[in-house]
Amino acid sequence: MAIMGTFMYEEDFISAAENLKSSGFDNISLLSPLPLEEAQEVLGLGKSPVRRFALAGAIIGAISGFAMAAGTALVFILPTGGRAIITIPPYLIITYEMTILFGVLFTLLGFHFVSGLPAWRDKPYLPSANIDRFVVVVEGAEADQVARAEAIIRDAGADEIRHVEVDE
Amino acid sequence: MFDHGQPSYADVNKDILSTMLETGPRYWMLLGTSMSVAGIFFFMPWIYQLFVGVGAAGMNRNAVWGTYLSNFIFWIGLSHSGTLLSAVLHLTNSPWRKAIYRSAEAMTLFSLMTAALFVMVHVGRVWFVHWSFPIPNQMGLWPNFRSPLMFDVMAITTYLTASSIFIYMGSVPDFAAVRDASTGLRRRLYTIFSFGWRGTAREWHTLGWAYTFFAIFVVPLAVSVHSIVSWDFALSAVPGFHHTIFAPYFVCGAIYSGTAGIVTVMYCLRRFLNFEKYIGQVHLDSLGKLLITLSLIWSYINILELFSTWYGGTSFEVEALMFRLTGFYAPLYWEMILFCAFVPLLMLFKKIRWSWNKMLVISVLINIGMLTERFIIVATSQPRKFLPDAFGYYVPSFVEISITIGSFAIFTTLFLIFIKWVPAISIYEVKETLKPLRRDA
Repeated sequence: MAIMGTFMYEEDFISAAENLKSSGFDNISLLSPLPLEEAQEVLGLGKSPVRRFALAGAIIGAISGFAMAAGTALVFILPTGGRAIITIPPYLIITYEMTILFGVLFTLLGFHFVSGLPAWRDKPYLPSANIDRFVVVVEGAEADQVARAEAIIRDAGADEIRHVEVDE
Repeated sequence: MFDHGQPSYADVNKDILSTMLETGPRYWMLLGTSMSVAGIFFFMPWIYQLFVGVGAAGMNRNAVWGTYLSNFIFWIGLSHSGTLLSAVLHLTNSPWRKAIYRSAEAMTLFSLMTAALFVMVHVGRVWFVHWSFPIPNQMGLWPNFRSPLMFDVMAITTYLTASSIFIYMGSVPDFAAVRDASTGLRRRLYTIFSFGWRGTAREWHTLGWAYTFFAIFVVPLAVSVHSIVSWDFALSAVPGFHHTIFAPYFVCGAIYSGTAGIVTVMYCLRRFLNFEKYIGQVHLDSLGKLLITLSLIWSYINILELFSTWYGGTSFEVEALMFRLTGFYAPLYWEMILFCAFVPLLMLFKKIRWSWNKMLVISVLINIGMLTERFIIVATSQPRKFLPDAFGYYVPSFVEISITIGSFAIFTTLFLIFIKWVPAISIYEVKETLKPLRRDA
């Protein structure tokens, strides 16, 4: 079961999240219609691992781009005016483009991996969280903790508190 | 930022989603017209050309490149401001970007698609176009990566992929808003499109990082794409093409025409989708100032091109230059200078910069000038190669003129379809520009 508290004001929502966190509730989700740095700070979200995906993609792209161009030149040997078979300047352009292509594709992969999207099962959600409401979701609370979580959410100024069943 | 007072978060959802979910007869009429024009002016002449061969176009032995390639450069150029401007303004954290970037990015995508169509029209036997991709095949064919045309294939494919991902990722939270506001099949589709987005802090955090990395990748990519397009010309030894200044010249021209294109698109969004509340004077003013700056840089590079040719003194180059300035196409050259170097100076006056109608006229004139510029580069250089026996003229045929007109209809059609599938203004980013509601207010 999950407890969902809906807030009209951003400041109340952040205050509820901070109080829940300091009271030992770790399994909380903060839903908002726009990105809020304060909410991310409450959850302690620092540098995202997405940057590692971007770097890895760029490196793989650079290596494969040069390998593709140089490999083609070695397989289909085309001597031109006594120049080298593996000609660096034009191949750097192919390398550059492939670096970016793979960087972008791996960043996309990283986004999906880190954010857990696509979501394969239903999770607690309110459509108003995508319009003008801020929602705190406390998941996995023990029976004796439910009342305490509710009290914290209510004290912070929630408009509405509801309980929802969560697919395990 | 807002000319008509600050809307609420709910207003933002309602105003923007209503342009997608409510469709009046005017939209269908516009879509029907643009599709018909695209079919009659673009696809029918193209089919005709496929039957009779590329001889249907006005290209000849001296001028083997014509309007198709000049249009290709124009559309690639028009694509430039969307994603590039969006990425640069995202990295510099400029708030005025937020209301206009989605449509600007869409402009990039559809301009690129239109440009790619011109390559297919130009090559003639379009059914062999896949030979230009490095796809393993039983014929042992493989592209030559030393060719600037292959640089083009790699750059444009990468740009199209990156731009599509950039616009899609920025739209995921808005797709969730569409999902929540719709029913039936549309709801099911947008459930898939939005990946089950809930707007959790973790999702926003990851999207923010990923989006910043996309922007970091896209900026050098956009610069490289038009540099590479310029090398299609500059890496040849043709007088009028062989200039080291070509890469910055093309990039500057691309951003210039793209920014003018954004002004035109913003005017249409305000006029036809009633976005006056969100696209205001601050956007027009900022775009106007950007256009003046780009116009001055563009004019400087043009003067530099003339100077370096004169100073170099190579007879072939001087001949090609004189043909451009005083020859058969001179009226077009001076029209380009008028529209791209002098007319934009009017924007120095705030009264003009703040008028949507006047800015629309200027932006259209700039793009007519830029279309002419690309035509002049192609049409005045190739038929003026070295010796008089290689001299000739290139005049576009009716097929080429018709396909050029049709390409604008293709772009319009794609954009009209886009505004019914993707919110034309980013809902969540507009919300970021609003002052948050406070209990004590």
